Amino acid sequence: MAEHLLEVKNLKKYFKVPAGENHAVDDITFTLDAGKTIGVVGESGCGKSTLGRTIIHLQNATDGKVFLNGEDVTNVSGHKLRQVREKMQIVFQDPYSSLNPRQRIETTVIEPMMNSKRFRTHKQAREEANRLMDLVGVDYRLRQAYPHELDGGRRQRVGIARALALNPQFIVCDEPVSALDVSIQAQVLNLLMDLQDSMGLAYMFVTHDLSVVKHISDDIMVMYLGQMVEKCDKNELFSNNLHPYTKALLSAIPSTDIFSPMQRVELKGEITSAINPKPGCRFAPRCPYATDACLEPQTLRELAPNHFVSCCRAEEIN
Amino acid sequence: MAKDIKRVSAQQRKDYMRVYGNRKKSSLHDTYAEKADKPFLEVKDLEVIYTSNKQIVKAVNGVSFQLKRGESLALVGETGAGKTTICRSILRILADPPAKMTGGDIWMDGVNLTDLSEEEMLEVRGAKIAMIFQDPMTALNPSMQVGKQIIEGLMLHNDYTPAQAEERAKEMFEMVGIAPNRMVEYPFEFSGGMKQRVVIAMALACNPVVLLADEPTTALDVTIQAQVMDLIRELRNKLNTAMVLVTHDLGVVAQNCDNVAIVYSGQIIEYGSKESIFLHPTHPYTIGLFGALPNMNDNSERLTPIAGTMPDPTRLPDGCAFAPRCPHATDACRTGVIPEKEIAPGHKIRCIMRDKEA
Repeated sequence: MAEHLLEVKNLKKYFKVPAGENHAVDDITFTLDAGKTIGVVGESGCGKSTLGRTIIHLQNATDGKVFLNGEDVTNVSGHKLRQVREKMQIVFQDPYSSLNPRQRIETTVIEPMMNSKRFRTHKQAREEANRLMDLVGVDYRLRQAYPHELDGGRRQRVGIARALALNPQFIVCDEPVSALDVSIQAQVLNLLMDLQDSMGLAYMFVTHDLSVVKHISDDIMVMYLGQMVEKCDKNELFSNNLHPYTKALLSAIPSTDIFSPMQRVELKGEITSAINPKPGCRFAPRCPYATDACLEPQTLRELAPNHFVSCCRAEEIN
Repeated sequence: MAKDIKRVSAQQRKDYMRVYGNRKKSSLHDTYAEKADKPFLEVKDLEVIYTSNKQIVKAVNGVSFQLKRGESLALVGETGAGKTTICRSILRILADPPAKMTGGDIWMDGVNLTDLSEEEMLEVRGAKIAMIFQDPMTALNPSMQVGKQIIEGLMLHNDYTPAQAEERAKEMFEMVGIAPNRMVEYPFEFSGGMKQRVVIAMALACNPVVLLADEPTTALDVTIQAQVMDLIRELRNKLNTAMVLVTHDLGVVAQNCDNVAIVYSGQIIEYGSKESIFLHPTHPYTIGLFGALPNMNDNSERLTPIAGTMPDPTRLPDGCAFAPRCPHATDACRTGVIPEKEIAPGHKIRCIMRDKEA
């Protein structure tokens, strides 16, 4: 048995675009244990979703390795890929477009089970599907309905039931609550945490909502333009963050404390592009602390146990 | 390229003058400055219905609020609560049909907007009351240079020459932090945050006295959101603009608003100053809403969602619309109309259970 459930090593995903190569995911390394959640945060376009999709092999990785239970699952194909997929599933961001509009809810959940031959007969699969839908809270009367008859929160529950259909060990949650309303969001987050407790699932939770990620994660990874700039325990991240980008990101969250005005770290300019990036820190053009040393390639350093930072001036500025 | 803008704008100006050239200036002009203390915008008993499939959806059911100059009010609530409909009916830009304003008045500086003709409304929209729409991707005309889109409004509402209008548009672009040489670009050439800034520049170009901001930052990342809210605050301070901010982000409310109205099923169920709502939320729905939101300052393991969902707006329950989901509901909550009660100065709720306790 391997030490970690999931191990991602120097994973890279580049897209060819007319202007050159888009370094959507660039050299990401992390591990995840069973029953734990890693949150991935960053601005839109920083490669969070691409990372999740590349790990579960919805896209081929350009370079790097993904190990599941110690077994190399990078770029597997055919029968092997089908086996791996049973262990790794995804809940998509948009519950409106990720369900087949012409398929009944029950069929949507049963299909992967029959497809993977997890069950011999349709009857067995149906029993299991009903059990899962009880678990995630899809009402009995809705199981023969079509997706358009359900609201966003219920559809997302169906999406979760479908991800659970093959009894996976690891689920990528790609912004599962960002399309939902606030009160529904709380219901879905609680459901995900209950399932984790009872089934020992590991999650990779991709989101740009920092209060959600704080709520659900054990470790948090901050990404900027395809690169990991900081990764550590969630409490450490909010109390003792070291990278200037993390500081700027956290200080931009509007505080609900009405008596203390926000102390913001001002960021100048927009997020730049990850197409043909220059070597060196990609945050340097917006960073208030940037010096010439930042134009050199940055290495990820472990400054405290389980606290990784990719900033050459991290000690100086803190 | 700059010439291009002038030429088309002049043509547009001609068109506008042909259609609207002989408009008289309405009584709305230049009378605002002295009346700082009086409510400037007053919405009274607003009611809006949508008709679809012969069913009647009661979207707004008797909403009233007041706004002074420079003040800001947050409308907070779930999707479908009627927040956007309230904003749109102030500007009278609801599509009719299916929407219809069935009751209520909207007073702005002594003029009832509901009495104005469509032509008089044209002078109000954009010039006196401007709106920032929720989705910057769809609020801009995709086949028109962004500079022209701002100049269009400026020419309509002011006696500018094309050159003056372009000058003013340049100023606005600089104010929102976009290089004026990008005025000749099309919306697809901008990122989401920049498009939202163009929409803000457009909304503020004619120095409106009321700004309706419909979730101006929901589609944006936190860092860009902070920049956009800073910008709105700065411009409001400069122009002393009142604002109605629609949002469900309580953090944005805490940092930007004076008063808060919690909207549920087309009614304001709790209204008060920011301090009274944040420190003493009283209506069960408000308390539920605060509990359902993940809070950065709170380390609790679980959220406490509000059970159930919003009632079907075609079949609103009798009595309190929140009663089916409310932990404190009694039979008395399910009949009649729930009156509004003031439980502290300026702090009003619609709940018969909680106002007894208070």
